[in-house]
Amino acid sequence: MAAAQPNRLQHGGRIDRSRPLAFSLDGKAYTGFAGDTLASALIANGVALVGRSFKLRRPRGIVGGGAEEPNAIMQVGEGAKTQPNLPATQIELQQDLVAHTTRGWPSVGFDIGAISDFFGRILGAGFYYKTFMFPRSFWNYYERAIRLSTGFGEAPASPDPDAYEHMNAHCDVLVAGGGPAGLIAALVAARSGARVILADDGNEFGGSLLAGADAIDGAPAMDWVAGVVAELREIPDCVLLPRGAVLGYHDHDFLTLAERCVADPRGPGDATRRDIRPRARERLWRIRAKRVILAQGSFERPLAFCNNDRPGVMLASAVSTYIHRYAVLPGRHAVVFTNNDSAYRTALDLAGAGVKVAAIVDSRAGGGGALAAQARVVGIPVLQGRVISDVTGKNRVRGVSIAEWSGDSWENVTSTVRIDCDLLAVSGGWSPAVHLHAQAGGRLDWDESQLCFRPAHASEKQRQSHDSAGAGNGRQSLNECLTDGLRAGTEAVAKLGLEPAAIKAPAASSAGEAPIEALWRVPAERDADRCPKQFIDLQNDTTVADIRLAVREGYRNVEHVKRYTALGFGTDQGKLGNINGMAVLAAALGKTIAEVGTTTFRPVYTPVSFGTVAGESVGGLYDPVRKTALHESHEAAGAPMEVVGQWHRPWYFPRAGEDLHAAVARECLAVRNSVGAMDASTLGKIDARGPDVVKFLERIYTHNVGRMKLGRCAYGIMLGEDGMVMDDGVMARLGENHFYLTTTTGGAANALNWLELWLQTEWPELEVYLTSLTEQFSTIAVAGPNSRGLLEKLGCDIPLDRDSFPFLTVREAVLAGMPASLFRVSFSGELAFEINIASHFALDMWRKVLDAGREFAIAPYGTESMHVLRAEKGFIIVGQDTDGSVTPVDLGMNWLLSREKDFLGKRSLGRPDCLRKDRRQLVGLLSFDQRTVLPEGTQLIEKTGRTTPVPMCGHVTSSYHSACLDHPIALALVAGGRARKGDTLFAALPGSEPVPVQVVSPVFYDPKGERQNV
Amino acid sequence: MLLITCPWCGPRAETEFSYGGEADIARPLDPDALSDAEWADYLFYRGNPRGPHREKWNHVHGCRRWFGVERDTVSYRIARSFMLSAGGPGADADAGPESGGDANTEQED
Amino acid sequence: MSEPAPHRHGLEAFFATAESTPDARVEIGVLSNRGFLNVRLDPRKQQNVRTAEQVLGQAMPLVANTYTSGRHRVYWLGPDEWLVETGAGDAATLGGELTAVLAGSGAAINDVSGGQVALRIAGADARTVLAKGCTLDLHPREFGPGQCARTGLARATLLLAAADAAPSYTIIVGRSFADYLCRWLAHAARPHGACFSTR
Repeated sequence: MAAAQPNRLQHGGRIDRSRPLAFSLDGKAYTGFAGDTLASALIANGVALVGRSFKLRRPRGIVGGGAEEPNAIMQVGEGAKTQPNLPATQIELQQDLVAHTTRGWPSVGFDIGAISDFFGRILGAGFYYKTFMFPRSFWNYYERAIRLSTGFGEAPASPDPDAYEHMNAHCDVLVAGGGPAGLIAALVAARSGARVILADDGNEFGGSLLAGADAIDGAPAMDWVAGVVAELREIPDCVLLPRGAVLGYHDHDFLTLAERCVADPRGPGDATRRDIRPRARERLWRIRAKRVILAQGSFERPLAFCNNDRPGVMLASAVSTYIHRYAVLPGRHAVVFTNNDSAYRTALDLAGAGVKVAAIVDSRAGGGGALAAQARVVGIPVLQGRVISDVTGKNRVRGVSIAEWSGDSWENVTSTVRIDCDLLAVSGGWSPAVHLHAQAGGRLDWDESQLCFRPAHASEKQRQSHDSAGAGNGRQSLNECLTDGLRAGTEAVAKLGLEPAAIKAPAASSAGEAPIEALWRVPAERDADRCPKQFIDLQNDTTVADIRLAVREGYRNVEHVKRYTALGFGTDQGKLGNINGMAVLAAALGKTIAEVGTTTFRPVYTPVSFGTVAGESVGGLYDPVRKTALHESHEAAGAPMEVVGQWHRPWYFPRAGEDLHAAVARECLAVRNSVGAMDASTLGKIDARGPDVVKFLERIYTHNVGRMKLGRCAYGIMLGEDGMVMDDGVMARLGENHFYLTTTTGGAANALNWLELWLQTEWPELEVYLTSLTEQFSTIAVAGPNSRGLLEKLGCDIPLDRDSFPFLTVREAVLAGMPASLFRVSFSGELAFEINIASHFALDMWRKVLDAGREFAIAPYGTESMHVLRAEKGFIIVGQDTDGSVTPVDLGMNWLLSREKDFLGKRSLGRPDCLRKDRRQLVGLLSFDQRTVLPEGTQLIEKTGRTTPVPMCGHVTSSYHSACLDHPIALALVAGGRARKGDTLFAALPGSEPVPVQVVSPVFYDPKGERQNV
Repeated sequence: MLLITCPWCGPRAETEFSYGGEADIARPLDPDALSDAEWADYLFYRGNPRGPHREKWNHVHGCRRWFGVERDTVSYRIARSFMLSAGGPGADADAGPESGGDANTEQED
Repeated sequence: MSEPAPHRHGLEAFFATAESTPDARVEIGVLSNRGFLNVRLDPRKQQNVRTAEQVLGQAMPLVANTYTSGRHRVYWLGPDEWLVETGAGDAATLGGELTAVLAGSGAAINDVSGGQVALRIAGADARTVLAKGCTLDLHPREFGPGQCARTGLARATLLLAAADAAPSYTIIVGRSFADYLCRWLAHAARPHGACFSTR
């Protein structure tokens, strides 16, 4: 097997050579080992070319070893399980993993789009804006062509079969990053009794220690890591989350974290029964932390030299990672290029692994410190005061040109030496991972000695609940990182009021370092705008020249330059190139980097799948389905459901062969001619009582509540303070100081909150209690001329005749053996009763109603028939015939407005705007052709004609075919409509001629209201 | 997601609350005495400050109480939560009307 | 009212068809035949509290987010609102007595037995399953027996109470949400193995 991995070392690494794993890339089979990432396995197999660049289609190879990777962006999995945009450096290798490169149509090796390399000059900064915007109408064509030849892979076309879940968690201390600083911070916090969550986006804890050969307290550093992790695992209130990437630091110390679970041998439940228990593929943790320690380390920066994007140019730290952690060699003949000391370690790592290091090219005239001396000892040539002026090779580095450099970064140079190599390890210094710190609102300071932005803590520390530690806090040596982590952990538990456990800082070896020297743009043989491309952002093909061009074209602000050049726009969010880009911008503007500043750091830190964001709440669980107590019966009757708010209400009750229209016509005629029954349980219901309840309700409702006699019902409306109708419903006076209010289905919760707002904040002196009874009572509306007979047949202990139980009254009764409140109210205009019954008895009552109604040919009816019946009567539905801009006067409800008292919204009705004569008012509409059912929302116009724009004078709010009138009816809001009865308007229908309609009264049926009052 | 301290229930996630706009806007005692402009000012005009903002929140998925929050509209930092009326049930009877029974619920030091 | 109709909580179909897994680490149950009273009174009028406590035979919880156990469970819902959990057959009588003794005090007693469903979530992984949809800190140090909270679970608003340290939790939810909530809980509990109970 190993023979198939030509670049695999025989020994070392944190891979398991006894567990070979087969995988494929673009259909070609390879083998790696457990413990590999896809990236390390590809390097082991000698795969250098992994993609094409976004804009210029240049060949690209693996650059990094972690979240910063800009090039090796893969499509993993197939069919419904496929996932785009995953960096190969973060994909754990699994048996039979199927991966595809995403940016090489038709293939990475032969890319038709590479022709655009030729046109590189016209595809400079802002090329989209400049090239494709004129003429505007052509953009559609341009875009289609561009989209075809670019892109980062594909979204799955079918539903994701995997499970995802969310987990809410709380902790005293969240430690983000499980490297040396994070580990010791977590250890001191956990030992001190704090509830700790330690997360790291890698599959193993150790951070930078995984990539080196450091020693702690005289032993291999990974032994120390293993000891700390083992101890933390034993502490019950400590949660370890490897494979957990902290995505965002949100308000009030709320953090999101994505955990990849599949390869996780722990996880919930019994591991031996994993086969039958569907486990989540990814878990989104939503963590509220009291203190947060950010220890996410730092990112190495590349250098901006000519052709620095050729496959084989790699971050020095990544090279070390591949050698130590994965036991693979990214090349055989290496050159190292650096402006600081850390890359010397990589040179030593390469030499130690048997790679010939042809040269270390150090831009500093004075060269490096102790590590440089070591390099010389092992025979590596060190070229000081020199830079790499160009790279040769296209699909793979073949050699580098080296020039002497005096130290002035923008001066042209002359190449003097050429060295052959297939690997160029590069280090431009280190940038602390300050993303989460910045997301939390923390400021950044520019550190001129280390040339990096680091978290500004000193001045803000008292206000913040987060701290940074280790390399992410600008600490460079391992010793400094361990000390800083211990400090951060100790301070965090002290702030929590816990006694910090005493821990002695472990000691690591350290070497004296020479300081870094700035090299933001590497000088070339020609000036920056004419030399071969010097890339800043590899994923978006942003070059030094692009940034300078943006400045020449007048861009000054870093945020604008970012958007113009697409710097940092990719899935890697510029982890590699942003700081270099800002430095180039600063130089072009003649400013300091501190003055230019950074772009905004936004969540998420690394790409996250939609499934993880959606979590458990997908499919039928996306939104609650609220079911009435009668739901079971409706379902059994085969009624399609209409979603109203979150409620599922029966829409209509079809008999065999009936469609919606046939069923609704039958149901409506049953109500008009005999009797129908409807589930009205979803109406909001509120019990209001207390000594001051009348005073309170007088201020809320527009009518004279105090005049209602005991046992009376009344229709009431609530207005907002702006005078617009907010909710409506029937209320009943059950006692001197006791009312029962009903609200609309959709407005039930809001109405109660609205009442409580006034009661609690404006009139707290009023003694009133409001209790929601929406769930407690189910409501069965029995409507039609035979409704009284039906109730009598059910057995009712009170007289139901008109004189004993008149219209708009309420009675307590025992009906069919069950206690119920009967309301003589009607939303259909027919003689009707609403039976209010405790919900746990409601299903039995409903069945008895339907049984007893059989002799009257009772029809259960749904929301559609309810709408038709009420529209025939001109009864409005708040939210359908009103939209928050309609006053009761507009609706013709002046009779409901008391002149004797103030009520919410009353003053607004006198505002000039509410008195306008041309306000839209509720009217009825009839189609002249007697058959066109106008679509709801149809605009109404005065006259036909081709002159545009056509002034609109109203719109249709409700529209149905009326079975009992045998023609269509519609309600509409029409400007000055009440004065226009008899006028002809036109309904503008899409795709056909306008239909003439006549303005009529909104009451189409029984205008005198005689039928409900019998 | 904000962490909001309900004066009765303590700190809870923002998802348990609903926002009610600027606090301290008293309804005029005699609306009819107001000019249209004065009424419009009460109805529509809000301070919308950059910085500390006193606002109403309802613990709608909890104890159903309305209360006040002083929140910085730039940093979202919440300085304190407070009861909106001293007369409300459960309020400290000795609390003055202005402090409104300040629950002394500093969220961040 | 010769034959009282059976109390239906609406979850009969769900529990009849839910399949339990062996070695379940979560139990999802419905508690049948419970009665509930919503009690509103002003606790600053201490006489009201004493009067109510005499009828209830136990203390009213005056500390936010706690409950008392005795003949009934009395849960704190708000500074002037409580929920009394009792037997289905006792709610009406108890409500009547409370209404009678508190007449004229401004108190409001409502029988809400028909509107509430009580569920039981128990087992080794119960806390984990709840944490998938609830933002409260359910660590036993923060939310132990005797404590309750009206809060959100998944997308429903409900009353959650720590019943005992086993751990087991009681959920009291509006009946229209109960079916959704049980389906959500069953889904969330799948990786842990769930068993379903009615009692």
